[in-house]
Amino acid sequence: MLEVEGLAKRYGDVLALRDLSVRVDEGACLVLLGRNGAGKTTALRCMAGVLAPSAGTVRVDGIDAATDPTGVRALVGLMPELPGLYERMSARAYLDYFGAIYGLEPGMRKKRIESLLELFELTDAGDRWLGTFSKGMRQKVALIRATLHRPRLVLADEPTSALDPDSARRAWAYLKDLQHEGCALVICTHSMEEAESLGEEIGMMSAGRALAVGDLAELRRQSGLPARKEVRELPTLQDIYLAIVGNHHELAEARSA
Amino acid sequence: MSWPKLDRRKAALVASRDLRDAVSELRLVLAMVALTVAIPIGSAIGIRGLAYFGGGTAVVNRLSLVGAFFVVFIPASFSLVLALESFVGERERTTLEVLVSTPLREAEIYAGKVAAVLAVSLGLCYGGLIVYCLAVFTGLGYFPLDVLIALALATICQVAAMVAGAVIISLNARTMRAANVMASFIILPMSVVLQVEAALILLGRTEFLWVFSAVMIVLAAVLLRMGLDGFSREALLAREVGLRNPAKRASAAIRAAFANRPGLFRLVWLRRVPLLVAAAGLPVGAAAGYLAGVTGAIPAAAVQPTLSSLMNAAGSGSGIDQVLAIFGHNVLAFALVPLLALLTAGLSGFLLTFFPGFLLGYVAAESSWPTALGGIFPNGLVEIPAAIIAGGLAIQIGAAAIHMEASGGWTARVLAAAADYVRALRWLIPALAVAAILEVRLG
Repeated sequence: MLEVEGLAKRYGDVLALRDLSVRVDEGACLVLLGRNGAGKTTALRCMAGVLAPSAGTVRVDGIDAATDPTGVRALVGLMPELPGLYERMSARAYLDYFGAIYGLEPGMRKKRIESLLELFELTDAGDRWLGTFSKGMRQKVALIRATLHRPRLVLADEPTSALDPDSARRAWAYLKDLQHEGCALVICTHSMEEAESLGEEIGMMSAGRALAVGDLAELRRQSGLPARKEVRELPTLQDIYLAIVGNHHELAEARSA
Repeated sequence: MSWPKLDRRKAALVASRDLRDAVSELRLVLAMVALTVAIPIGSAIGIRGLAYFGGGTAVVNRLSLVGAFFVVFIPASFSLVLALESFVGERERTTLEVLVSTPLREAEIYAGKVAAVLAVSLGLCYGGLIVYCLAVFTGLGYFPLDVLIALALATICQVAAMVAGAVIISLNARTMRAANVMASFIILPMSVVLQVEAALILLGRTEFLWVFSAVMIVLAAVLLRMGLDGFSREALLAREVGLRNPAKRASAAIRAAFANRPGLFRLVWLRRVPLLVAAAGLPVGAAAGYLAGVTGAIPAAAVQPTLSSLMNAAGSGSGIDQVLAIFGHNVLAFALVPLLALLTAGLSGFLLTFFPGFLLGYVAAESSWPTALGGIFPNGLVEIPAAIIAGGLAIQIGAAAIHMEASGGWTARVLAAAADYVRALRWLIPALAVAAILEVRLG
């Protein structure tokens, strides 16, 4: 689905990305890890057909991003780090606008928008202006927007950084569903939990280059770290949080009913 | 000049969203509508009052036209604010990356945004004009339809030119504040344009207004095309880089502009097209001046002060004083021309030869060609080639200023053209000194 070969990107004197080669098959997921400024966002923008590579090639479903960037952009759903929502638009109108840009039929748009708003618990807030949304709600809308047109490749930059654990798990489940439908994913994150949860392949980037790419076992081998026995008998803080808050949520719903 | 293909439906999507955004703030809408209605009505009250209290038909009629110009201009200025906001505002609100990551083509985004701004501005302009016409001309017994149509057309082109210029600034600015400061580059030339338009309206000659509209159409088309050429996703998203050490970067850019530039003779060959345009200015100016003099289109009383001031520029002092006065006068012209070229898209370079040519032709019409040519001999043999070179290089500066490329490099191109001009002055200034000596000694 995505083939990146020797990708480099230069901004004036700054070489933001150098010699990146990765391949993501249909239904596969690559997670990119790295510090701020490692080149992850630039890599995503090049893969999305938004920035032209300074060297190397990017192909999405066989389409070269250098020769047909519009074709590539039609196949890709890019979710940037900042949601970038129009403050004076309702969530429904915003999603409808982008659905129309991607050429979705009105009936299909409406159906998908409603089902995704429901999935992310935004149905009631759907007619409110996006400017009134919380950070987490904005990120959910951005994720819906990036995937509304059922792209063949989803490129997401820290897709759950503003979400509460429950919503994050819901988002991961949604991304996994897309994967099962054949969509390829490239996710940039700083969350190791997210990386482990989503990433079949993990790429580690630093100073514009990929230092290692592979599955967890391969990366363990490459790191040279000795094997470590880990026994986890106690629930994690996240498990405890979800149990308590989840119970309270159910109680609150029962009360309001 | 080919225009790129675009899907109108997609451009309309962008336009309708921007339009909704522009009218979604109630206070802004109220302010715009109030100005659109209040200013025409206020102007109308003044003019009807003047007519009622016996202001004189000629004065009232002229004033009613100036009022129409005034009423149309105020809402047109909204276009500047909306257009400046179009790209740089979206970038500041981080919505731009999302928009440019869609399959929309550059032309669709650009056309959509420009159309939205034009729709708001022209809606207000024409709304105001209709209110004004209803309030002023009903029962006045005077309705200059031809002038009003010419004014309406000139307004479309003016607004389009302002919008196109503001969009170019918006594309190149990193922040809204920077865009607002850079808007001076539109306001300054537009203030001159508006003064010309006001003068033409006062003259009451419709044909001049049509010519003015035609010039504005060309200007708007050039600016719109420039904006489209300069619009690239790449530049919009990548321009964040390189903000450190602005002074160091600026000095490096200036040094780079002067590095490896061609010598004068090679430069003349490389810039032969703008030099030919500048050279054409002299005969074209002479022909225009001659026609103006022969037909009496421009009365002698209007040209006489300019001629007298040029004749008196040398003063009546000693020979050396006269040489210095003529030399200083010419050096000042050569210094101003490249600066004005930036604001006039190189027109000042053409005028450097056109204007003397015009005076030459006018004098020839008033006297004879031998007399007129005798006035510029022998100093003209040095002065005219120097003016052609300076004019051509100034045209090049103007051309560089209005040439946009998606890959950027505007600053480097303008600096290189300016560096060529500055380097040429090493030859041109001594030439002007020689010409001044010739004019005083042998002229």
